[in-house]
Amino acid sequence: MARILPGEDLLIRMQRDLKRSLAADMSSIKWSMIIDQAKCAGCHACTIGCVSENKLPPGVVYRPVIEEEVGTYPNVRRRFLPRPCMHCQNPPCTKVCPVQATYQNQQGVVVVDYTRCIGCRYCLVACPYSARTSDFGEWYTTDTPDAEGKMVGRAKASESYEAIPATEYGKQWPKRGHGSPVGNARKCHFCLHRVAVGMLPACVTTCVGRATFFGNRNDSQSLISELLGSPRVHRLKEELGTKPSVYYLQ
Amino acid sequence: MKSKYFNILAVIAVLGLIIGCFGMADRLMYGHLHAGYGSYVPWGLWVVFYLFFVGLTAGAFLITIMTYVFGVTRLKNVGTLSAFTVLVALMCELIFVSLDLGHFGRIYRFLITPNFSSLMTWFVIFTNLMLIIYLLECFFLIREKLVLWSTENRSGKAFYRLLALGKTEYTASDRESDNRIVRLLSIISLPAGLLFYGTNGAFFAILQNRPIWNSAMTPLLFILAALLSGGALITFLIAVFHSDDEITRILGRAVFFILVVFLLMEFIQFFVGYKTGMTSILTSLDLIVTGPYAWTFWLVHLLIGSLIPLILFITGINNPKAIAWACLLIVVTFVSVRFNFLIPDLAVYKLEGLEQTFSHPRLRTHYTPSVNEWLVSVWIVSLGVLVFISGIRWLPILSSEKGGVNHV
Ligand code: SF4
Ligand code: SF4
Repeated sequence: MARILPGEDLLIRMQRDLKRSLAADMSSIKWSMIIDQAKCAGCHACTIGCVSENKLPPGVVYRPVIEEEVGTYPNVRRRFLPRPCMHCQNPPCTKVCPVQATYQNQQGVVVVDYTRCIGCRYCLVACPYSARTSDFGEWYTTDTPDAEGKMVGRAKASESYEAIPATEYGKQWPKRGHGSPVGNARKCHFCLHRVAVGMLPACVTTCVGRATFFGNRNDSQSLISELLGSPRVHRLKEELGTKPSVYYLQ
Repeated sequence: MKSKYFNILAVIAVLGLIIGCFGMADRLMYGHLHAGYGSYVPWGLWVVFYLFFVGLTAGAFLITIMTYVFGVTRLKNVGTLSAFTVLVALMCELIFVSLDLGHFGRIYRFLITPNFSSLMTWFVIFTNLMLIIYLLECFFLIREKLVLWSTENRSGKAFYRLLALGKTEYTASDRESDNRIVRLLSIISLPAGLLFYGTNGAFFAILQNRPIWNSAMTPLLFILAALLSGGALITFLIAVFHSDDEITRILGRAVFFILVVFLLMEFIQFFVGYKTGMTSILTSLDLIVTGPYAWTFWLVHLLIGSLIPLILFITGINNPKAIAWACLLIVVTFVSVRFNFLIPDLAVYKLEGLEQTFSHPRLRTHYTPSVNEWLVSVWIVSLGVLVFISGIRWLPILSSEKGGVNHV
């Protein structure tokens, strides 16, 4: 009953949880995500929110939503599975990186150090969830015609959007060209740059179904800890022993 | 090496370098932008060629070990040729791997922040170790002749003096010490080489999400594949450059035997794979036998690279020409074996449905090498051929008794 009556938006609660965790001991934080498949409407807003937040170039995606159709007509249902990086607690990707460019940070988030990554793509091959993509240096505006008359041409269009990098990992990256992150492995980083300033990851705030939850699983008062007690909780490819920090509610 | 053959090969190699230049320029200017692979098939033709060249070093490696560690004097004549072959193949392998990196300029990271739990780190360590060993080994094997040539009245004297590091006299004690160094280097190269080939197989075998690779059989198959392609290469080279029929026959028998064992292992791999009934394995195996590149498996590998060589071996096991042809076919078709090892396990979506969401050419599992990848490959292979034939022609690689050196 309480759930259908207007109440506090879950985002507000998560925001509060987030601030509480950030104010406490940082070393006790373990960031986690829960995705409620029953609530996911398959709108792909999180995918697009992420692309826009991180200025992802063509061919790079951090959080696609996999669609599945079950049953036969007329008893057909659709299931959706948003797939960010699982931030495995036992990540196969970090072990294979030859130069320690990808690792788990103190809060359990698997990050990529763009300035170290040599672009060997071994981690892409090792990830069981295909959660990593490589930045091959593509541009959306490659086929945009050049300026003619009053038309905004390729150069201007790319300069005013694509060339300006996102502040991933809280850093100011150089204008998009040949340097990093071009040539690097890229992946979801739980929007650490937003989290650091008390904002929820972009996919959480853009989720129209309120199906994505984020927080510190070590904080017993947090919404995420509450949800982790649900019998509906499961993780992807549990049999591999990767221990994802991303959980699903079936 | 006869001038005529040298000239033909040199012209082909130079043409390859010129054509390949376009690919190299594109690679250096635009990085991986025009490569055909993407994020779900992250490795492509350059990694296939790297695997190919790793294999090519193996046969020559075995010969140097047998000659200088186990003292098989019969093979002494081909020792230098073998060491030089390893060196050139390693050079090509390293260029392929380097160009495959997204940030080649950060290669120094291997020294600053190496991750010793990664097999790629070990691969780099062992490859460089092998390169240093064989560079030194080649030097000490040919030093005597270099000194001799630098003092004789022949063209290129200054060049030989430079290579001999200015040494003008070569005494009996120098010879003895060089022989000792070569033997020592060969002894070191034995464990280094075994670890090198083993690491290359384990590199793939440890990946638990890759059902075909993730098997204890992979490193073994790798060593066998290396022995087959490398053995075939060195047999072919000996048959052509040394015209030593007896060694060719002995090596031919060995290659024949390894080919049979390799095919048997391959059959076991398919048999066990299909019997498991696991979708992930079946999909990858089906890709090999019925996928868009099935012709590389059936026609290139099984027919041209296996069946015809088998027939040649059976009908002409004592005929050096037949052996040379069989070996040549095995070597040139081995790229398809490497291709069918690498691509099919990558070219399967690891999460069902991933293919239908967020489409982009870089997010597909279908891989076709791009023109640019081929051009770069042509450039590197041509460079390898040019270095090899130049070495044979202008360096004391072939033993003089067999008539190889007096053509400078
Ligand atoms: S999902 Fe893949 S990329 Fe993310 S931590 Fe796990 S193995 Fe690494
Ligand atoms: S692509 Fe980068 S992050 Fe991935 S394994 Fe290679 S160096 Fe490490």
